[in-house]
Amino acid sequence: MDASSILNFVIFGPLIGMVLVLIAPSQYAKHITVGTSLVVFFLSLMLFPNFLNGSAFDGAYGENMQAVTQIDWISVASLKIQYYVGLDGLSFALIILTTLVMSLAAATSWNFETWKVNKGAKGYFALFLLLETGVLGTFASLDFFLFYIFWEVMLLPMYFLIGVWGGARKEYAAIKFFIYTLAGSVLMLVALLAMFFSSADATGTGTFNLLEYATNPAITANFNDPAHMFLGFNFGQVMFIFLFIGFMIKVPLFPFHTWLPLAHVEAPTPISMILAGVLLKLGAYGFLRVCYPIFPTAAMDLSFLIATLGVVNIIYGAFCCLAQTDFKRLVAYSSISHMGYVVLGIAVMTDIGYQGAMFQILAHGISSPMCFFLVGVIYDRAHHREINRFGGLWLQMPKYGSLATLGFFASLGLPGLCGFIGEIWVLLGTFNAQATHSEMTWAPAMAVVAAFGVVLTAAYILWMIQRVYLGERREEYAGFKDVTARETAILFPMAVLAIFMGILPGYTFQLMNGTIDAVLKAMHVSSDAIAMAIGG
Amino acid sequence: MENHTFEICLALGVVIPLISFTILAFFGANAPFGKPRAAYLALGAIASSCLLATYVLISWYGLSLEQKAQLTQEAFRYHWADFGSISIDVGVKLDSLTIIMYFMVTFIASFIHLFSIGYMAGHSDEVGGECKFHRFFAYLGLFCFSMLGLVISSSLLFLFIFWELVGLCSYLLIGFYFDKKFASDAGMKAFITNRVGDFGFIIGLALVVMYTKTFDLDAAADAFAQQFNAGTGIFAASIDLFGWHVSGLTLATLMGVGLFCGAMGKSAQFPLHVWLPDAMAGPTPVSALIHAATMVAAGVYLVARVFRLLTPDAQFVIAVIGCITLTMTALIAIVQKDIKKILAYSTLSQLGYMVFGLGVGAWTAALFHLMTHAFFKAMLFLGSGQVIEGCHHEKNIMNMGGLRKKMPVTCWTFFIGVLAIAGFGIPGTHIGLGGFFSKDEILAVAYERAFNMHAEAHGESGDSHGDNDNHGDTDDHGSHVRADVGDNVQLASAGSNTTALLAVQSANAMASGEGGGHANGTQAKMDIAATLPQLPKWMFWLPIIIAYVTPFYMMRCWWLTFMGKPRDQHVYDHAHESKLMYIPLVVLAVGTVYCSYWVFRPMISQASEVAANAPAVVAFDGKIHDYSEIPTHAMMTLTHGEGMVNPHTALAYIVGISWLIGMLFAAILYWNGPKLAGRIKDAVPGLAFLHKTLENRLYIDHVYDFILVEGVKTLGRLWGWFDTNVIDNFVDLVAYAAKGIGVTTGRQLDMGVEKGDIGLVDNIANAIAWITYSTGSGLRRPQNGRIRTYVLLTAGAAGIALLFVLIWSMSSDATEVISAASAQ
Repeated sequence: MDASSILNFVIFGPLIGMVLVLIAPSQYAKHITVGTSLVVFFLSLMLFPNFLNGSAFDGAYGENMQAVTQIDWISVASLKIQYYVGLDGLSFALIILTTLVMSLAAATSWNFETWKVNKGAKGYFALFLLLETGVLGTFASLDFFLFYIFWEVMLLPMYFLIGVWGGARKEYAAIKFFIYTLAGSVLMLVALLAMFFSSADATGTGTFNLLEYATNPAITANFNDPAHMFLGFNFGQVMFIFLFIGFMIKVPLFPFHTWLPLAHVEAPTPISMILAGVLLKLGAYGFLRVCYPIFPTAAMDLSFLIATLGVVNIIYGAFCCLAQTDFKRLVAYSSISHMGYVVLGIAVMTDIGYQGAMFQILAHGISSPMCFFLVGVIYDRAHHREINRFGGLWLQMPKYGSLATLGFFASLGLPGLCGFIGEIWVLLGTFNAQATHSEMTWAPAMAVVAAFGVVLTAAYILWMIQRVYLGERREEYAGFKDVTARETAILFPMAVLAIFMGILPGYTFQLMNGTIDAVLKAMHVSSDAIAMAIGG
Repeated sequence: MENHTFEICLALGVVIPLISFTILAFFGANAPFGKPRAAYLALGAIASSCLLATYVLISWYGLSLEQKAQLTQEAFRYHWADFGSISIDVGVKLDSLTIIMYFMVTFIASFIHLFSIGYMAGHSDEVGGECKFHRFFAYLGLFCFSMLGLVISSSLLFLFIFWELVGLCSYLLIGFYFDKKFASDAGMKAFITNRVGDFGFIIGLALVVMYTKTFDLDAAADAFAQQFNAGTGIFAASIDLFGWHVSGLTLATLMGVGLFCGAMGKSAQFPLHVWLPDAMAGPTPVSALIHAATMVAAGVYLVARVFRLLTPDAQFVIAVIGCITLTMTALIAIVQKDIKKILAYSTLSQLGYMVFGLGVGAWTAALFHLMTHAFFKAMLFLGSGQVIEGCHHEKNIMNMGGLRKKMPVTCWTFFIGVLAIAGFGIPGTHIGLGGFFSKDEILAVAYERAFNMHAEAHGESGDSHGDNDNHGDTDDHGSHVRADVGDNVQLASAGSNTTALLAVQSANAMASGEGGGHANGTQAKMDIAATLPQLPKWMFWLPIIIAYVTPFYMMRCWWLTFMGKPRDQHVYDHAHESKLMYIPLVVLAVGTVYCSYWVFRPMISQASEVAANAPAVVAFDGKIHDYSEIPTHAMMTLTHGEGMVNPHTALAYIVGISWLIGMLFAAILYWNGPKLAGRIKDAVPGLAFLHKTLENRLYIDHVYDFILVEGVKTLGRLWGWFDTNVIDNFVDLVAYAAKGIGVTTGRQLDMGVEKGDIGLVDNIANAIAWITYSTGSGLRRPQNGRIRTYVLLTAGAAGIALLFVLIWSMSSDATEVISAASAQ
C-alpha cells in the first residue's frame, strides 16, 4: 500500500468504523471504536519512513508533499474544488498525535456504562469516529475548501458530544462552543471566497490550493499587495485578520477563550482529552498552514499585536489558574496558558520560534490529555472536582500519585519532560527574534514577560499538587483503589512520550524542521518580493 | 590519538544512580528490595560512581597540563537537537574543575547514603504510617544523577536542564514527609523561589545564545572574549527592554547578572535566600547532602563556570549580593534555637562568602572554600542528624546540653566541624583547617580590591591612555571617548568607588550614545572593561567582622548542645548515639582535617588554569593568577615580594585568630547555658528588639508572604473573577444582543437546545450566513433514541454548506468576477 492510500485510509478509516458502529449492536460500539482508532493509529505509523529518512524535506515549501492525493472533486463554472490531501512537516506529527490521542480517548471511553449519561452508546461512538475523520481531514487538507469542510465536519460531533454526554450545564457549554466556533468559521468562509476570487484575479483561474497561495508568485504578489483593497482596507491584512480570528477562537486566544474552561468542565473526560490534545491544535495549525505562509506581510505588520496576545495568554491563563478551585477548570486554564507559548513562537516568525511553537503543540498534545485523564481518574472515584476537598491522594493511591506528579511536571515544563523544550525554545527564540527581524525591537521585553510565566506555572501546579496529592490520608477517600490496568495502559504511552520528547527532542524536531525552514523561506521570498515591488 | 576513557567513566558514573533510581522507583517497595536492600542498591550505585570518580581523579592528576588541555579539547560531543541553525550538543566538560566537583559530590554522597541507611531505618521513614524507605533512596539516586549531570555538562542548556532537575529532587526530598503540611510548604517554597532565579537564568541564557550563537560553555566564552577584543557582537549591540535602552557593556553585564540570578536561587543568596532555612523540613541526610554540600554549591559552581562571561560590573553585583548575604545570615544565625536552622544559616553565610569571593575575583579561593565547606558542613549536618535522632526529634538546642557524655563521637567530630568553619589555624604556619585558608584567601583578594587597586592592575592593557580626566575625554575626531578608570580610582580613593563606577557608566553612555561611531565607542568600552572597579571599603570590613561572628555562633551551637549541664533531663536520658552512623562522621572529619589545604588547594589551583585562563578573564581581571598565587607564597613560606606579602600577612593577623576570639567569647557567654545571654539581652536597651528582629529573620519572609504570595494569589482571584464575570458575561451579552437583532424565537440561549423547534439544516445554513445567533440554538432534543438521525444529518451538513456557498457565489456580484476572470 503506498503512502497516499494509507493517508486516505487514515482519514476515512474512522468513517468506516462509524458505519460499523451504527450497524452493529450497541454493546459492541466501544469495541469497534477502540479497534478502529487503533487500526487508524497503526496505519498512520506506517507513514513514518519518508519523514524519518528526511526525504520529505527536500525542495521548497509545497514542492515535496508526501502521501499526496489530488483529484478534482467539484467543478462548477470556474470553481474547481479538489480533493487534495498530503502531508509535510507541519501536519505529519499532528496526524500521529491525533490518531494517538483518539485511540487513548477511545480507551478512556471504555467505562461508558458507568457514566452519568450512559445512554446512546451508538451515537456517542459514531460521533466520536466522525470527529476523528474531521480532525484528520483538516490536518491533511491542502485545498482550502476541503479544509473548510473538514473543519465544519469536526464541529458538529463535538457539539453533540459535549451537549449530550456532558455535565450539569452541558447545553450551555455546547452551544457556546458551537457558536464561537461557527463565528470563526464564518470569517474563514468570507476569507475563503475572497481569496478564491483574488487568486482568480491574479492568475486567471481561481484556486483553493493552499500551497499555491503561498508559493505562486503571482498570487502572493496579489495577496500581499499594499494597494490591493478589500472593503476599503488592505486586502492582505483583512484576510489575515479574518483567518486569524477564526483560528484564534480555536486556540483559544484571549479574549475569545471563555468557551474553553466551560466546555472542558462539562465535557466527559475523553472529550476533554480530545479537545485539549487535538482540537486546540487545529487553531495553531491554521496559523501555520493558512495565515502565515499566505499573508507574511500582514503577519509581520501585526506581529507585535499577536505576540502580545500570546504573552497575555501565558500570564493571564496562569493567573486564572491560581484562582481555580475546580480541578478540571484549572487544567483548562493551564491549556490556555500553554497555548500562549505556541502563539508567541509563531508570532516572531523565526525558525527557533516556529520550532518551539510546533514542539509546544505536540508537547501540549501529550501533556494536556494526560492531565485531563488524571483528573478524570479521580473524578470517576470521587464524583467531584473540588481541589480544596482533596488531599492525601498520593498516600491513598501511590501509583496514581507518581504518574500524576509526572504528568503535571510535564505540564509545568520541567526539563527532561516534554513541556520544557517548547517553552524554552519559544522564550529564547522570542528573545532572539531581533536578530532575524530587526524591526522587532519589542521582542526581548516580550520574552522577559513571558519568562515570568514559568514562575507562575510552577506556583499553580505545585499548589494544586499540594492540595490534591500531598497531605494526610483522608477518611473520605479511604476506599479509593489505585489506578487500574486500563488506566495505567492509557497513562503509560503518554508518560513515555512525555519523557522521550523531553530527553531526546531531536527526533521530534527531525519530523518538522525541514518544512519549517522551507515555510519560512517561502514567506521570506514572498515578503521580499513585495518589498522589491514597492521599492521599484 | 583520542582517548575517551575519562568521559566514559564520568558519564557512566552519572548514569548509574539513574539506573538505581529507575529500579527503585518501579520495584523498590517489593521483593527483592524492600526496606534495607533498597538502600544497598542506591549505596552501591553511588559508590560505583565514586570509584569511577576516584580513578579519573587520580589518572587526571598524573597528566601534564598539555595533555589535560588536549583531552578537554577532544572530549566528545553528541548532537542533541537543532536550535534554529545552532546545534545543541551534549557532551562532557572534561577539566579539573569538573573532576574535582565530581569527586567531591560522589564522595560525600556515598557517605551520606551510608549514614542514611542508619538514619532512615528508624521510624523516620514513615510517611503517613507507610514505609517510604525505598522512595527516599530512589530520590537520592535521582538527585545524584542530576547533580553529577550538572557538573559534567559542557553546554549551558544542559547545565540548565540538570539545574532544574536538581531543583526537582530538592523539592521532592524537602517534601519527603509530604503528609505534613510544613514539609510540603517548604518544598514548594524552595521550588518556586528557585524558579524566580531561573527566570533570570533564562534571560541570561537568551542573551548568551543571542550573541554568542552557541550553548557550549567554552565556545560561548571564547566568542565573548573575541567579541570583547574586537568590540563586536554584544559589545556593539543594543536592545530595548520596556523602554530601557541597554547596550554594549551594560548588556554584557545584564547577561552575567541574569545568569547569576539562577545562582542566587540555587545558592540561596539574598533576596532569594528564604527557602533554605525552611528546607530543613527535609530529612537530615538530605540537608547534609543537598542543602549544605552539593546542590546549594551548584550556584557557586555556575558562577565559576560562566566566570569568563562576567563583566566587572556583573562581578561587582555578585560581590555585593554575596556580601549582603554573608552578613545578614550570620547575624540571624546568632539567635536561632533550632540546631538545623543554625547550620542552615551558617550555610547561607558561607555560601555568601563563596559568592562574594567569586565577585571580587577570587575564583580559586571561592572554589577552595566550596570544597572545604562541603566536607565540614556535611559532617556538621550529619552530626546534627545524630543529635536529633538520638534525642528523639528534639531540635531545640535550649533543651539540650551535656550531650558530650552520651554521644562522644558526634560531639568531637562536630567540634572539628566547628573549628573548620570558624577558620581554625595558626597564622604564619602550615597549621590550620580548610576554612582558615579558604576564607583567608577570599579576604586577601577582597583586601587587594578594596585597598590596593593601583595602576599595576592594568599595567599591560590600560596604560596607553594617559589622561587623568575624570569623566573621559573627547579627542580630535570628536567621537573617541577615553576613560582611564584606573586613574579615576586613584583620584577617587576617598573610600568609595562610586566615582569610578560613575565614570564607567557615563563613559559607556557616551560611547554608546554616538549612533554611528561604533568602532570608536568600542575602543573606549574595551579600555573600561579592561580595568576592575575598586571595591567600597565596607565590602572588605563586613566579611572581616563576620569572620568573628561565625566562630561565635558555631561555638554557641556546639556548647549549648554538648557542653554544660543537661537542661532537659528527659531529652538527656533518651539521648544515645547510633554506631552505624559513626563511619561517615569520622571519614568526613578526617577529610575536613586532611584534605582541606594539602589536597584541595593545589587541585583548585590547577582547575583555575583550565577554567579561568581565557583572554576575557585576563583582560577583565589581570590579577586572577596573581591572586591564586597569594596564599601559596604568603601563607606557606611567608616570603613573597612584589607587595603581596604585606597586606596578606597583616590580614592573617587581623582574621587569623578570629576563630579563637569568637569561640572563646561564645564559650564564656554560654558556659552555664543560655541564661547569662538572656539576662544581657534584657539588660541592654535595644538588644531585645534586635534579638526579636533577627529571630524573625528580619521579617523578610513575612514581607514576601504578604506582598508576593498573597499578592499573586489575590491577583489570580481577581483575574479569575474578571474572566468569569466580565469577559464571559460580555460574550453572553453579545449573544443576547445578537439574538434580539435576528429573527428571534424568544428563548434563552442555553435553553435553545431543549426547546428549539427550528431544524438543524436551517441552523447550519443560517450560521454560515452570519445570523446564527438569532435563529440558531434550535436543535431539537438530541438525547435518547434520536441520535442516529442527527448523525446522519451531521454527515449531510457539509454538503449543504457547500450548496449554500455555491448558490451564494453564483448569485452575487461574485459572478462578475468569475466571468471577468474567465474572459481574460
